[in-house]
Amino acid sequence: MAQPIVKLNHVSKSYGDSTVLKDINLELEAGKFYTLLGPSGSGKTTILQTISGFTSVDAGDVYFDGQRINELPPNRRKVNTVFQDYALFPNMNVFDNVAFGLTLQNVKKAEITRRVTSALKSVHLNGYGNREISELSGGQKQRVAIARAIIMEPKMLLLDEPLSALDAKLRRDMQYELRELQQRLGITFLFITHDQEEALAMSDEIFVMNDGVILQSGTPVDIYDEPINHFVANFIGESNILNGVMREDYVVEFVGKRFECEDAGMRPNEPVEVVMRPEDLTITTVENGKLVVTIDTQLFRGDYYEIAATDDDGNEWLIHSTNSVPDNSRVGVTFAPNDIHVMRFNESEEDFDARLETYETDD
Amino acid sequence: MTKRFKFSNLYLLVVFIILYAPILFLIAFSFSEGDSMSHFQGFTLSHYSALLRDSRLIIIVLQTLLIALLSSLFATIIGTLGALGINQTSRTITRNTILSFNNILIVSPDVIIGASFLIFFTALQLPLGFSTVLLSHIAFSIPIVVLMVLPKLRELGTSMVSAAADLGATNWQILSKIVFPFITPGILSGFFMALTYSLDDFAVTFFVTGNGFSTLSVEIYSRARQGISLEINALSGVLFVFSLLLVVGYYFLNQYQQSRKLKRTTREEDIL
Repeated sequence: MAQPIVKLNHVSKSYGDSTVLKDINLELEAGKFYTLLGPSGSGKTTILQTISGFTSVDAGDVYFDGQRINELPPNRRKVNTVFQDYALFPNMNVFDNVAFGLTLQNVKKAEITRRVTSALKSVHLNGYGNREISELSGGQKQRVAIARAIIMEPKMLLLDEPLSALDAKLRRDMQYELRELQQRLGITFLFITHDQEEALAMSDEIFVMNDGVILQSGTPVDIYDEPINHFVANFIGESNILNGVMREDYVVEFVGKRFECEDAGMRPNEPVEVVMRPEDLTITTVENGKLVVTIDTQLFRGDYYEIAATDDDGNEWLIHSTNSVPDNSRVGVTFAPNDIHVMRFNESEEDFDARLETYETDD
Repeated sequence: MTKRFKFSNLYLLVVFIILYAPILFLIAFSFSEGDSMSHFQGFTLSHYSALLRDSRLIIIVLQTLLIALLSSLFATIIGTLGALGINQTSRTITRNTILSFNNILIVSPDVIIGASFLIFFTALQLPLGFSTVLLSHIAFSIPIVVLMVLPKLRELGTSMVSAAADLGATNWQILSKIVFPFITPGILSGFFMALTYSLDDFAVTFFVTGNGFSTLSVEIYSRARQGISLEINALSGVLFVFSLLLVVGYYFLNQYQQSRKLKRTTREEDIL
């Protein structure tokens, strides 16, 4: 593997009594789109600040491009940040905001003009140079902030919840644009968000955080399909999480029935949690159903119906279906063995990966 | 509806008459031929020509202006740096303590401040005069400047400073290119507040001034004790018109800037 662009080695940080980062180990490869995903207070912004230099770490080492940068001040680090509140300078117009970093380096006027023009072009703001910041909309401010950061040609761009202040439609557009921009520039993006949809849509790799710990890292598909624990399963997407017992390899028991599954490597009769995504559950007739449920309510979400149902044992189920089902009707629910994902209690990411190795030989 | 509106207008009119009547009364008598303000005795400009010939009074006016400009300049510099320092304090307790000390100086009576400066300067055996007046004016203006600059610094927040550092700015560049331009309105209003406080001040100056140096307020006070001469009325008239012109000038300057900004915005919208 090539040398990682950023490496955090056993990094810890606390403010007073509260520990915000607990022994974080993290490696980021050059040229990829990474996302730190977690609820507010999970420590994701602190990780970003240890890389940008606005937070010093209590213990551990921060490496950038192979160099230890613990003591390097922010203005000498080769990373740039897009701030959550944009942090544009109101006393300058768009052009001067974008040119700010270059003017500090005494770059020649013509060169500045050329690079500002091209930076504004890459965020689709050609011709906005003379605008005042106060005349811009939220989305335009966001683009200026991005242009101001990428003009510095950093090896890595840090984005601190940059889309959280935009409305839903604009946010979706910006997701495409950010992804496209990252691929065009070929630099590493570290994106911070609490929005799991954003993370799934844009990232090459996601780090899910909670309480100062990275719980799981992997591609969006891995994390969505094989969440490591209850928190990740619940935080990423909608899910049905049930208590069950692993009877033997490839057989799990929940809601009083045994089902074939694709998980193995656990102790016989080990208590586990079972995750089933609502879109993997298919509604069928009562006779064909592996489960029988009664429909409680349903909400039309545009591209699907979100159906809440209860089975005969009182367990609640969330089902996504393209077809509407009458309320209070009894229907069958069916699913395939690979729709069942089994989670062990308190399993670390290393153990999880190691266990997968033991039986997923074909992959 | 209309009736109540009229009543509020009337109220406003009465208030302004009460506020301005004494000043207008004073100015009116500056054109009176007599020597006292008991009766108006025909129009003359003689008091104004006397004012022009009274070189002592003119020197005092210039001294007052000099003290005001110098003291507010120094106070603005020191106060702005102080506000920057207070803004840097990370602990709320420290910050609030410093701010309280700052505010105490503003609310404490001028007489106390003046007396304590007098005791202080005599203890140091400084000769009373220009320098002591200047020092004390600087001292009582600093808290005002601090109070005017701090809100702007709070408004600035941390993210803009972080952004500048992130783009490679050194501490000095952050200060000169981001912080100062942003807080300039606060600094300016602090300067002008300090200026008016200094021009106004009687109590402190009265204590700390010495032989051969006087400011306008002290001079008028000492003259008024011997029965006010209408020359003072003429001076008041001149100062009143002067401040009126300042206010009007400020108004038009503001209007001009706003219309220019508006024009540019609309012009750019036309282009789109």
